Amino acid sequence: MVLKVYGNPASPCTRTVTMVCKELNLPYEVVVIDFTKGEHKLPEYIKKQPFGQIPYIDDDGFVLYESRAIARYLASKYANADTAILYPSDFQGRALVEQAASIEAFNFYPSVYGAVSERIFKPAFRGQPTDETRLQEHLSALNPKLDAYDKILDTQKYLTGDNFTLADLFHIAYSALLEQAGLGSLFESRPNVARWWKDIAARESWLAVKDAA
Amino acid sequence: MVLKLHGVSFSTCTRTVAVVAKELNVPYELVNVDFAKGEHKSPAFTAVQPFGQVPYIDDDGFKLFESRAIARYLAKKYAGQGTKLIPTDPKEEAIFEQGVSIESSNFYPSAIGFGIEKVFKPMRGLTPDEARAEEHLKTLASKLDAYDVLLGKQKYVGGNEITLADLFHLSYGQLLVQAGQADLFESRPNVARWWKEISTRPSWLAVKDAA
Repeated sequence: MVLKVYGNPASPCTRTVTMVCKELNLPYEVVVIDFTKGEHKLPEYIKKQPFGQIPYIDDDGFVLYESRAIARYLASKYANADTAILYPSDFQGRALVEQAASIEAFNFYPSVYGAVSERIFKPAFRGQPTDETRLQEHLSALNPKLDAYDKILDTQKYLTGDNFTLADLFHIAYSALLEQAGLGSLFESRPNVARWWKDIAARESWLAVKDAA
Repeated sequence: MVLKLHGVSFSTCTRTVAVVAKELNVPYELVNVDFAKGEHKSPAFTAVQPFGQVPYIDDDGFKLFESRAIARYLAKKYAGQGTKLIPTDPKEEAIFEQGVSIESSNFYPSAIGFGIEKVFKPMRGLTPDEARAEEHLKTLASKLDAYDVLLGKQKYVGGNEITLADLFHLSYGQLLVQAGQADLFESRPNVARWWKEISTRPSWLAVKDAA
């Protein structure tokens, strides 16, 4: 049975999962959940995902949610000799991916989500205006973090070293939204971050899903 | 060489690493980072941890930061001893990963947000933003409703055995309790059962006030 991704083509977390599928050459089918109609808050959805968030997967009856967990599961299960590098299993290699993935989850995502929420999600989906004060707060938090990213990427091509891994991948969907929100200069003004972003955003797997998971 | 934990005894993230080391029976030496003197922002420190945050570990020359990454590394490296904190069966491991992600995206942000307003700011003589604190509390309440459903179906956040996914809640859960919000846990039967269990484990009692 082909992997089912219950999500939405417009959702960044859905694109994270489908990008991983593309990286692994894993066929999948997106079952569209219309979040604009609140489909993700209906009882039958909540039964699968108690937090009412998208996406979740159904892998031949095995249900899993949280895009970063799904990514790890798929990479562990479906990697071959060529793609195992995405999520290495040696202690130190794995530790470096988890370090960089944790950086993404705690030093990158919160402020990026906040900024994108103010500039895009609130006006487009919630009928709310941008709160400029909050937006500035998110940017003030993000700037020093991106300085640290620039320092890390000064001496290595990707966040863990020479190879592209899940840790880099986790940044892509929301970074694209940051650009869409008119905040691309955050990357462009930092030479190493700019180089890294250009590289990872050009991956075939991303190009295949970036406009519609 | 004994594991060196560069951190601060009362820091939430340092205690997260400490509780995991205790569960695994991994001895460690806490190397104090002098927060008051800004040691975490010094060139020597940021050469290891570019974000200027605590803790990091030095495992016989291998350095690692981000407390949850450190926890994972220790749990994998010392899988043969102490409590099994990461499942090895692929489906159980996936449910564990789901639980870890639930903590980071559905618990931590509002827990730390509330903790910053109502615990850290007063500690530094700053005035809490009450409106923000209320927002975080509201978010937490709705998230913990979902936790109560989840914990009615499985014993722990990462499956039917205790894992890192549960331990990652301890420092921030304690912050909420410290801020007078124990009711968030106690008013929800499954969450109450789970919180009581994990917060009374000997490993946590050993480090909850000082890594």
